[in-house]
Order: sequence, then C-alpha cells, then structure tokens
Amino acid sequence: MAKLQKTSVEMEGRYEDRWVLVEDEPPAWEDERELSVAGTRVARLTGPRRVSGAARYVSDVTLPAMLQAVVVRSPHAHATVELDIDAARAVPGVHAVLSAADGGVTQGENPIFTSEPAFAGAPVAALACEDDVSARAALAALAPRYAQLGFVVDPARALAEQRFQEDPVEDESGDVEAGMAAADAIVEAEYSTSAQVQHALEPHCAVAQWLGDELHVHVSTQGIWDARAQLARAFGLDPDRVHVTCEYMGGGFGAKQGPTTEGLIAAYLSRAAAGRAVRVFNDRRSEAVATGHRAQTQQRYRIGATKDGALTAIELTSVIANPMRGWINPTTIPARTLYRCANVRAQAIPLRIDVEPSNAFRAPGIMEGTFGYESALDELAALLEMDPLDLRRANDVDVDQVSGMPYSAKNLSACIDRAAELAGWAGRDALRDREHADGRQRGLGAACQIWWGGGGPPAHALVRMGHDGLVTVVTGAQDIGTGVTTAFAMVAAEELGLPLERVRVEVGSTRYGVFAPVSGGSQTMPSVAPAVRSAAFDLKGKLLELAGDVFEVSPDDLLIVDGEFVSLDGALREPVTEVTGKLGQAQLVGTGSRGPNPDGMRVNTFGCQVAQVAVDVATGEITVERIVAVHDIGRVISPLQARSQVEGGVLQGLGFALMEQRIVDPTTGTVVNANLEDYKLPTHADCPEIVVDFIDKPDPNASSLGLKGLGEPPIVPTAPAIANAVFHATGVRVRSSPITRRRFLEERAR
Amino acid sequence: MSEVAFTLNGRAWSGTVPEGTTLAELLREDVGLTGTKIACAEGTCGSCTVLVDGRAVLSCILLAPQAEGCEVTTIEGLGDEGSLSSLQRAFVEEDALQCGFCTGGQVVSATALLAANPHPTRDQVRYAMSGNLCRCGAYPGIERAVLRAAEETSA
Repeated sequence: MAKLQKTSVEMEGRYEDRWVLVEDEPPAWEDERELSVAGTRVARLTGPRRVSGAARYVSDVTLPAMLQAVVVRSPHAHATVELDIDAARAVPGVHAVLSAADGGVTQGENPIFTSEPAFAGAPVAALACEDDVSARAALAALAPRYAQLGFVVDPARALAEQRFQEDPVEDESGDVEAGMAAADAIVEAEYSTSAQVQHALEPHCAVAQWLGDELHVHVSTQGIWDARAQLARAFGLDPDRVHVTCEYMGGGFGAKQGPTTEGLIAAYLSRAAAGRAVRVFNDRRSEAVATGHRAQTQQRYRIGATKDGALTAIELTSVIANPMRGWINPTTIPARTLYRCANVRAQAIPLRIDVEPSNAFRAPGIMEGTFGYESALDELAALLEMDPLDLRRANDVDVDQVSGMPYSAKNLSACIDRAAELAGWAGRDALRDREHADGRQRGLGAACQIWWGGGGPPAHALVRMGHDGLVTVVTGAQDIGTGVTTAFAMVAAEELGLPLERVRVEVGSTRYGVFAPVSGGSQTMPSVAPAVRSAAFDLKGKLLELAGDVFEVSPDDLLIVDGEFVSLDGALREPVTEVTGKLGQAQLVGTGSRGPNPDGMRVNTFGCQVAQVAVDVATGEITVERIVAVHDIGRVISPLQARSQVEGGVLQGLGFALMEQRIVDPTTGTVVNANLEDYKLPTHADCPEIVVDFIDKPDPNASSLGLKGLGEPPIVPTAPAIANAVFHATGVRVRSSPITRRRFLEERAR
Repeated sequence: MSEVAFTLNGRAWSGTVPEGTTLAELLREDVGLTGTKIACAEGTCGSCTVLVDGRAVLSCILLAPQAEGCEVTTIEGLGDEGSLSSLQRAFVEEDALQCGFCTGGQVVSATALLAANPHPTRDQVRYAMSGNLCRCGAYPGIERAVLRAAEETSA
C-alpha cells in the first residue's frame, strides 16, 4: 500500500526528514543459496549496442531543421563586455541571440548570461545559427568588446583578503585541549589538493525543441527528473509538459546535474527561435573552464594519540577554493567520522576566487579530505612506530561519531584484513628493503574510506509482462555508465524466477512517469533496485493468481522456476507462457517502490585500499604497480559491473594522486591547460594491476536487498594510499596532490 | 565545396562537402554514422578513431578529402549488434566499457593492433592503446578483452 511517510533522506551526507511516497518492500530473500541470477557474472545488457556504435548518445541526436548553438564565453577572469546584439541578429541564418540584455534567462536564481563576467569562460551570449558560415558571421557582427577588471585567483591571497564564499563553519565535539594534553604523540601537518576536472568524454550537450506548449529536451545528464523540474520552473510550465530524454550519455562524474546550463541554453534559444530544434555541444575548452571541477583545498591537521594508537584529539582547518553557493564541500567529514575520536574541532573556510564555481566530482569533499586525513594518520603511525593498518584497526568504531547513531552494518576491519592479505602487507618492509634489478624503490601504502551510499525513497519502478512471457522493467533512472540497467534486470529475473534473457530494461525518459533519483551520491542501486524488486514481486503475485485460475490450484502452492510454474508437490510444471499467452495484447503490470530508511541508524559504505608503487628517486618518476581494493557495500548484485566501477574509481583517484591538475595562470586568471593534451588524464600505460574484492554480505538494515551504492567509494582512498606508499618506499612525504616529479624531488631535497 | 569519394565499410561513397570538413564530421553529419564520436575535436583522445586503409586514424583531424580513394572502416563496419566481431564480443564479455562513449575508438584501435600484431603482450597492448583515453577507467577491462580476443583467434 502506498503511503506518505516522514523518513530520513540523505544526499551526500546531508540528512533531512522529509515526507516521501513509499510502499513496504517484500521480505528479504530467505535463502541466499537459492539465488540463481543475483551475484553471478553477467555481461552488461547494453554492451552489444555500445561496442557496435549503435547506441544513440545525446550528442548523436539530430532533429529536422535543427539549429546549432554557439556560446560566447569571456576570455578574461573579470571584465565588462559590450555586444552588438542587433548586428548579430541581422546576420542571415541567425535565428536567435540571447545575452544579459534578455531578462528571465536564468539557471535557478542566477542569470545565465552576464555583462560582467566573473571568470574566464563565463557565458556572455549564445546564438542559434543554421550553419558554421552564419555562426562565424554572427560572431564577427557581435564583436564583443571587453574592459578588464581586477581579479583574484590565488587562494592564499583570497584567504589573506578574507574573500569568503560563505561564512566559515566550525564543528566541535568533546574537549580538544584535554585530548591533546592526554596524547603521547601529536602529529601536525598541512596538505593541499589541486583542482581536478571531470572531463567526461561526451561534452555537456543538449537538444531542445518546443512543440506547441510542450518542451522536449534531450540532455546528457545524471538526473532527468531534476532536469524536468528545473526546466518546468524556468518556463513556468506544468512539469508534465516537459519531456526529458537521456537514453545513452557519455559520462558525468558529478558535473552533469539536472538540465545543465547547456540544456537550459538550448531550451531558451529554441523558444527564441520560434520552437525550432537547437543543439548545444560544448567544445573541450568549455568543458575545461566552465562546467565545473573538484575544488582546490588546503588542509591543516593536528592529531593526538596515546602510545597504543588511540586517537585523543583532532584539530583541523580546511580551506576550500570556490565552492558552489549554499554547499560547503564536506572535506572535514573523514576526520570526524572515519575512526573513533571523542575530541574534534573542524573548521571549514569556503573562499571566493574568480574561477568558475566548483561542483560535484565523484565523492566531492570526502576524497580531498581523505587525502589529507589518511596521509596525516600515516605520519602519526610513523611517529608512534606503529603498523599503519594496526593504527586504523585500533580506532575502528561501530558508531557514527557525529550523530552518535550505530551503523546499520560495518565491516571495515574485514576490509583491512582482506586488503592486507591480498596485497602481501606482511612482506612490505622486505619489499622496501630489497634491491630491485631496475634500481627503483618499492613500497606499500594503505588508506581507508567512509562514504554514505544508503540511498532511500522516493524511487519507483514498474515491471510489465506481455503474452510472450517477456518482461520489461521501466524506471525513470538513467544509466550513466555504471551498469545499473543490467543489475535491475538481474533483480527482476531473480524475483520472477525467469531466465535473464527474458528481461529488458527501459530507463532514461521522464515520459514513463516512473520517478527515480539523480545518479549521484552512490544512491541509484540502493534506491531503485529495491523498487524494481518490489515491482517484480507485485507482478509475480498477479501472475500466480492467474496461474491458480488457469490450472485450478491454489496460487500459494505455486512457484516460478526457470520460466515455469511449478507446484510445490512437483505434479504441475507448465511454462509461464501457458498463462501469459492468454493475455492477447494486454499487459500484466506490477508496481513497486523503495521502502523507508531504517530509524536511528546510519547507513554507510567502507573500504580499504593498498597501493604498491615503484619510485625512481633520481627522476621522481612514480609508477603505481598494483592497487588492492576491498570494499563493503553490502550485497553485490552484479560482480562484473561492480568490478568495473572499482577499477574506474581507482583510476580517477590515481589521476588525482599523480597527474591531474587544472592550472590557472595567476597573471591572467585563465586556465592554461584547457585541453586533453596538457591536462593529464591517466592512459592505458598508467594503469596498474587492480585487484578488486568485496565483503559481499547483505546489510540486514538497508532495504530488502541489503545493498549499498558503489559510485563513490572506490575513488576515495586511492590517492592517500599512493602517497603513503611513496613514503614507505622512499621516506619522502609529499603533502600535495598531484605528486608530480618536481614535488617529489623538491621534498626529497629538503 | 570539395568532392570526395571513397569506400566506406565496403561500399562506395561519394559526395560534396564544404571546405574544412573533417572525416569525422562527414561520417556523423553527412552519412549519419554516429558511432564515431567527437570528444576533443583536436586529436588528443582517440574517440574518433577509424581505419583508413587498415591504419588507425584520428578522423577529427583528418580532412575528408584526404580519404579520397581510401578504404574507410568505422566501428559500424566492424560488426553490428547482432553479429559482433570476436573483439567486440570480448569487450562485452570482459565489461571493457562503462559509459561506452570512447568504446568505438577503442575497438577500432585494438582491431588495428591485432591486425598488425595478432599476439601482443600485455605491455604492447598498453602502449598501443595509450592514444585512446577512457575517463570511466575501463583500461583493465580493455586490456583483458584485447588479450582474450588474441587468444581466441589463435585457438
């Protein structure tokens, strides 16, 4: 029964008690040993379409008479701009020009175009043109004239000038001074992390078209429902008049939220061009300067501990360069929650600098904070002459240190033990002390991870079956590359007792009216998969009722096994189509929803990674040879795609650790590596051996499936594990990411 | 405008394109073969890789007329959804993709690699494929897929 219930809803660590539409989920699967699909190796269902070039991505969408948008961006960090709008409009083939002169062209509360751009890359105008020739002529006619103004892009200067984006925030628990006084050893160190750009290979893109009073938008997004809501708000429309589609999209990593600026620009231009379809497709430079990044941070820690490693106090100040307004990246959370410590003071200082605002990038805040905190703990272990993993084991805790609530399930110690075993941790000093034939020095380093990922309501699904006994799962999620559609099919097949090849999945359209949350915060699987299971359970009940009528037996005496109705006494065995074949063109439909979250507990994910590095100390070249990654995310539905998620997270963490940084020229305020040549992404040749394992124990308190999300967890501990391995191998502690050769050699020379 | 004629996925193709049109633009916009992706448009990421006379080429920085008289093969020409090549099948089996946007280019580059070197070592795969970026981080899967396809061909 559907009901409105007040339940705790979490998104990337922000908790809120909200009224949500929920239905109770069916009881958990009774006998794990009888599962035939869940937990088995299944190839991605969309694989054949993706490897053959047949999958139609948003950037492949073409509509009749479609116009191309050109977005004009400020080349200066801060300036005023004048434009010849009328001259541009007069160019043949130009159908619309929008700028700050047009009121009501907004993203949320903020105008999209500005006459005083406040960062290099800020949009000042957009044009809808028939072709390249008219676009070039229109740009020439528009003739932007900039007058440069002063700017600040250096966080240190912004701090000195107290340029705050928001008021600094301080969280304090216990008595930090008393805790420091009780410590036998205190470590004090400062760490910095660079701006990392998401750089999804499909640039931000959208196609919008007005059909009468209906708005149709194809957009490369992580959230079709947020896109729908924000587009409806922007145009004062009933949300049901807005149709958002995202069948295949080429990566987001946090940077593609809701309609994205590009989707809004396409919709505004289409409206100004009498409804003609308009396509926005960013070039790579725009991706690098105007679609977001992971904020640059500077973190200072003081951590005290007793001789046996028990943490007695943590003091931390984290400076975050240019967070989004209204959200301070949670960089202090790892220090406040990863291990037991009663006395903590954490200050977050959000600075304003004149670059584009940062936004979400896979484990925003947490990953940067974990780099600092897990590096500092490694330094503490060295000070205490303690095994770094023993220090972590000594401070493991079953209670969330901020709320005081117990965790729904936690297997961090098991992750640590397993990672140590797989990585050969016991032999790490022997590895370090040995002379290697290639002359390089080797070592192991470890780091742990906490992230949320419990998901929650509202999330809905429907499962329908036709006369041929084939099943379609429908939900308003989007598959951004994580493989969730395959996992949804597996859950439905398991619940219905059908072979997997009889199940297909439809996602990526708001037209179905089946709500699912944004693909972010590691919440799609834990929110939507239980709803899919509930819908399949509902359909199964209806199917068994019909079978009972057809075969004149009680539905309670029937099961569905391998696509057949089977009676408990074994006397009856008939294919499902014996019943569904009588449906004609009608469809049998089951519906389901995610149930409420558990009261009084915190649902989190945990993990431990161990890195092995080889360092050429003469040149500073660091090679990551192996990463062992063991994570606790409850039940694993689809191990093949789960492994891919971990490998991908590790590689993005490796990029953050060793090579990725967006560089802003302090004299001009512009990004100097706004391309994929000078901004270094990891390549095939940088890829280490990655050993992936899961604890794979259902969390009894986290939905009827006992699973949690995996999007964020694997990126979190990789960088500090690498930094700690470099220290173990060489005795050189590099406290800034990325750990470039230059930084390594400078630290070594100290 | 330039006239251009070449063999595309085994069939003759000819047409007229504006000056400056790249092969990638021609394939995507004039022919409608959108499996060739444009991610950087400046020859640094490999998403637009196609075969020109059997060589892996970046179609986003190749002018369309430069393909005159050549054999051009795109991802669509290597095998469709219902009849995948053994390499494409290995990509699916090893989950060598996530969002799949770079995958066409990866498969094309790996096809060229295996044609030139049917039994590459792991390191040869890693270096030969390094011009094809994958932001999702499917590299381990791609490596497994290429080695698997090489093994299956010899069997």
